[in-house]
Amino acid sequence: MLAFALASIAPITLHAEGLSVKHAELVANEEWYFLNADFSVSLTPALEEALNKGISLNFILEFELTRSRWYWLDESIASVRQNLRISYHALTRQYHFSGNSGNKAFNTLAEAKDELTRVADWKVLDRNLLKKGTPYNAAVRMKLDVKQLPKPLQVEALGSKDWDLASDWHRFTITP
Amino acid sequence: MAKLRYIVLASVGLGAVLLYMLSRASSNTAAFAEHYTLLLVLNVLLAAVLIGLIGYQIWLVKKRIRDKVFGARLTMRLIILFALMAVVPGTLIYGVSVQFLTRSIESWFDVRVDSALEGGLSLGRSVLEAQQNDLIHKAQAIAITLQEESPSSHTRLLDQLRNQLGVQEATLFSARGSVLAIATATDARDAILPQMPGPAILRAVRAQRPYSGIETITGKGLYLRAVVPVNVLSLSEDVRILQLLEPVPAKIAKDAEAVQDVYRDYKELAFSRHGLNKLFALTLTMTLLFALLSAIALAFVLSQRMSAPLGLLAEGTKAVAKGDFSPMQPVKARDELGQLMQSFNTMTRQLAETSAVVEHKQQQLEASKGYLESILAHLSSGVIAFDEKFSVKSANPIAAQLLGVDLQLLRGLNVFEWSEKAPQLAPLVQALTPRFESEGQKEWQAQIELTLDGGAKTLLVRGSRLPAEIDNGYVVVFDDVTRLIQAQRDAAWGEVARRLAHEIKNPLTPIQLSAERLAHKLAAKLDLPDAEILARATQTIVNQVAALKSMVDEFSQYARQPTLNLQTLDLNELVGEVLTLYETSPVPVQTELAPALPHVQGDSKLLRQVIHNLLQNAQDALVGRETATIRVRTELENGLAVLRVIDNGVGFPPEILARVFEPYVTTKAKGTGLGLAIVKKIVEEHGGQVEVRNIEPVGACVCIKLPCIEASSA
Repeated sequence: MLAFALASIAPITLHAEGLSVKHAELVANEEWYFLNADFSVSLTPALEEALNKGISLNFILEFELTRSRWYWLDESIASVRQNLRISYHALTRQYHFSGNSGNKAFNTLAEAKDELTRVADWKVLDRNLLKKGTPYNAAVRMKLDVKQLPKPLQVEALGSKDWDLASDWHRFTITP
Repeated sequence: MAKLRYIVLASVGLGAVLLYMLSRASSNTAAFAEHYTLLLVLNVLLAAVLIGLIGYQIWLVKKRIRDKVFGARLTMRLIILFALMAVVPGTLIYGVSVQFLTRSIESWFDVRVDSALEGGLSLGRSVLEAQQNDLIHKAQAIAITLQEESPSSHTRLLDQLRNQLGVQEATLFSARGSVLAIATATDARDAILPQMPGPAILRAVRAQRPYSGIETITGKGLYLRAVVPVNVLSLSEDVRILQLLEPVPAKIAKDAEAVQDVYRDYKELAFSRHGLNKLFALTLTMTLLFALLSAIALAFVLSQRMSAPLGLLAEGTKAVAKGDFSPMQPVKARDELGQLMQSFNTMTRQLAETSAVVEHKQQQLEASKGYLESILAHLSSGVIAFDEKFSVKSANPIAAQLLGVDLQLLRGLNVFEWSEKAPQLAPLVQALTPRFESEGQKEWQAQIELTLDGGAKTLLVRGSRLPAEIDNGYVVVFDDVTRLIQAQRDAAWGEVARRLAHEIKNPLTPIQLSAERLAHKLAAKLDLPDAEILARATQTIVNQVAALKSMVDEFSQYARQPTLNLQTLDLNELVGEVLTLYETSPVPVQTELAPALPHVQGDSKLLRQVIHNLLQNAQDALVGRETATIRVRTELENGLAVLRVIDNGVGFPPEILARVFEPYVTTKAKGTGLGLAIVKKIVEEHGGQVEVRNIEPVGACVCIKLPCIEASSA
């Protein structure tokens, strides 16, 4: 794989709790751009308890690429998302992870979280869409999808910090 | 109002839809679950809108109460009643429901169920563990067998051993993880690719730590995996790794999964029961809130509808009170209110008809009254009507004018009180009262003289008693006959004077001529003394005849037919001309002439005579007085040129004053008594007025008023 890092400007903000982007970069081969990103996640006690009670936690990973236009709203080049899920299997006492890369099982939560936070080689963009020499703004974030929680928990989650798990948009510029 | 009603109905309808969706979302159907939060927010917003609406409505009703709109209080009371009817049962049901809900949710969670599920799960786990242990034993058994053989025979032995022990799949890896041999049961439902153990497992096994675990293989269900080291007894060879893969029996897997699913659901439910409580309570609360708010908002609309006829009725009553009998908008209600409105309309219609009749009659009455009044007002006679107590009931304007009093003063005044308010009316009162009091006399007539500001007036008064069926009062009609009488008198005197002049003048010339002839013929024939006597007697006759002639001239002048030679005159100039003749007179004449006196239209000869006569009279009145002066004054008064001749003589005796302008009325020993009569005649021929009065302390003033040219043209 012909891989070269295009950009990696990552002002890292480490949250004691919550979700944050540690590092993100776009790498390209002849045809595609791939996203490599590293998140840091720390589940709130309520979320961890919910997970251990058998409730699946769904995360949404979003990537957006825009081109600035001084005369109009920014042009959207790409906007892709991916669903990631962690769940606990009580019978085997394993944590299951499922995402674009397939399903995996882990014995500890830490391993599952590692899997969740490490995004590698996510095909996000056709290379032909970008013009050489033009700067583009990329943005990445991950958040807990509260809508996929069971309804009672959705009600519980209304206005509650315990259930609010989302990283800020991590933005960086690439110039192919 | 109608607009508000539609808003309320729309909000209620929308609320019903939203509530249905919310309740669907709250129950277990997945239809709206995804949008539960959105629905909740929408519902809360709608509730806020309804609260705003109700607030606005309450404000509206309160404003109406403040403005004292009829029916507003009833509306308020109805709203409160409706609201109570909604709130009390609603709250009751709500309370019971929430209680019931909380209890029933709590009752789902039982310790026994909990421990049973826990037991079921651990049973499943121990079954799986037993299987795992079994598999690892088998793996170790195979490993020990393989250790004793040379590595080259492993591939051959593997399938044999797998078959002996009844394992589905056995794989032999090198220490680096590459597959050396693989043995699969032929009855395997479908051959699978060897599942590589993870690097962590390989590492553990290389360190002589066997691994066993349960895994879910996508599309294949649960599998047991056991990995053990195979320590080869050859120095050249490294350790080998044996992996056994065995599916969990389908029955066990299914049961265990079932237990685990129920366990998970139960745990999830238990975990989220607080949220569940909240969810149902929230939905219930929303329902209650919405129901209450809708009820109150609808209550407003209904109350409006119910109290609207009352408002109409009140408006109708007000309109009737103001005299507007137009019928109200008919109300379609078939209830008692509708009947009330109908009968109200019938009543107003009848009232309108009655009032129209009354109005018509009144108009007729007023027309006839106005007709009578206008006749009375245009009458030249004064009319005064009295009631039976002799108080004035009505009088026409001419009456007041003739009597020289204010009409308002007379109205309602008893005839006996007239003397106090208007002393000049005393002669009238004296004439009226005895005739009023004498019952028998029905109609009477009298001539009364009144002395008013403008001089003496003679009134011809006719009184009559009104018939009892009309009023039982009296009516008095009077006319000013002053001028009539004066004219009669003047005409009589003129006739006398003319005849006298004619009769006397004729013999005068023969008398004079005869006397002169006597003197002429006899003078020579008589002796001196007789001649002297004759001459004296003749002279006396001639002189007396001359005096008689001049007197007769005066008479004829008085009796002369009016022929005026009118021209524009300056009164001041005329006065000056006449006064030159009096410069040498014993009595000094002072003049106060107004500078810019407008000209008058008059006969200079006649007016000169007027001034002469007045000055002559004044001089005659001053004979024998020491500080005698005559003042002649001209001025402009109310558009009239006024000439005043004032002396400080004895003045006129009161009994003469009233009749001073009549001929032959004189205070002088010698005089025809025609001077002022002629003055009056001339002035009146000029359209003027003449007044005579005595002034304090002594003296008399004669005042002549002549119309000015400017004033008359202005």
